[in-house]
Amino acid sequence: MSYIKIDKDKCKSCYLCMDVCPYKLIKKSNNIGTTGEYTVEFSDSEKKCIGCAQCAIVCPEIAIIEVNRE
Amino acid sequence: MQVYSIPKSIKKDSKFTFCKGCDHGVAIKLIAEIIDELNLKDDTIAVSSSGCSVLLYNFLDVDCLEAPHGRACAVATGIKRAHKARKDDKFVFTYQGDGDFASIGLGESMHSALRGENITAICINNTNYGMTGGQMGPTSTMGQYTTTSPLGRNKEYHGFPIKTAEQIALCDGTQFSARVALYDIKNILRAKKIIKKAFECQKNNKGFSFVEILSSCPTNWKLSPQDSHTKIKDELTKIYPLDIFKDTTND
Ligand SMILES: Cc1ncc(C[n+]2csc(CCOP(=O)(O)OP(=O)(O)O)c2C)c(N)n1
Ligand code: SF4
Ligand code: SF4
Ligand code: SF4
Ligand SMILES: [Mg+2]
Repeated sequence: MSYIKIDKDKCKSCYLCMDVCPYKLIKKSNNIGTTGEYTVEFSDSEKKCIGCAQCAIVCPEIAIIEVNRE
Repeated sequence: MQVYSIPKSIKKDSKFTFCKGCDHGVAIKLIAEIIDELNLKDDTIAVSSSGCSVLLYNFLDVDCLEAPHGRACAVATGIKRAHKARKDDKFVFTYQGDGDFASIGLGESMHSALRGENITAICINNTNYGMTGGQMGPTSTMGQYTTTSPLGRNKEYHGFPIKTAEQIALCDGTQFSARVALYDIKNILRAKKIIKKAFECQKNNKGFSFVEILSSCPTNWKLSPQDSHTKIKDELTKIYPLDIFKDTTND
């Protein structure tokens, strides 16, 4: 099972990761971050993540701190 | 298997202080990854500059000096030569804005290229003076609205923008000069390959290497991070083509 880890304290809510995930597994959370907007969370109940790391590559904050592929 | 983690050359617990969606963060992340891959962390001295690039030393876990506005290539020259004279060679690179590299520092930048100084210069081209609030810079495009060109840049009053990577490629001491962008995955991966090549140019003692990075400035462009990337893709790459303008590293 592939998965990512997001550090919500580093997220600036630019949502570039949401746009790039091929399975739309990154969503806005209920947490309000440093820019006053909702930070993002990983939500993959159907285990679709392929560990492609595209989300981490585009994140300008290194807020996606881990991508694990299986 | 972990396929992505925070680069080792990023300072522990550091957070970038750029505006949301700014490509400066992606550029620094790529540089850190390349320093890791080339095993340069303990041998690197970075030179930051005035502008949004100034806080590089807060993010990169390497020795770093802050040069006065425009003087990064001159400072890097001194560091490189002094260490070489002591037979303690260092990997020295600059991280500068377009205003810093190509306007106030154009003399220092171009003469470092002409001397074939064995350093690497990275220039973040966001087509304005970002840190000071979005004034017109040397790379601001024709018609671009900035705080100091409120009616748009025009050729009668302001003249033309500089194509930095092409100009640096014309210097005989330059071994490598290229322009990259960071607006999508394909271009981020290409940028990484090209910056790595520029770093290897210095590692192999070839001479001056330069990479201009077309970079977003969502705050001063008054666009979302997404629209800023669209602007780079659709507008800026037409004016500033993505290419390798000189590569004599294999000669
Ligand atoms: C000698 C001097 N003149 C002016 C300034 C003010 N200043 C600080 S940053 C800057 C512009 C930087 O623009 P650029 O190099 O394009 O970097 P950016 O912030 O856009 O990344 C200016 C004019 C200064 N610090 N020193
Ligand atoms: S690793 Fe790929 S599939 Fe998984 S969340 Fe990131 S972008 Fe989506
Ligand atoms: S790309 Fe990074 S900073 Fe932007 S929303 Fe995603 S995790 Fe947050
Ligand atoms: S002013 Fe522009 S270049 Fe500077 S951090 Fe903000 S978005 Fe980035
Ligand atoms: Mg600039």
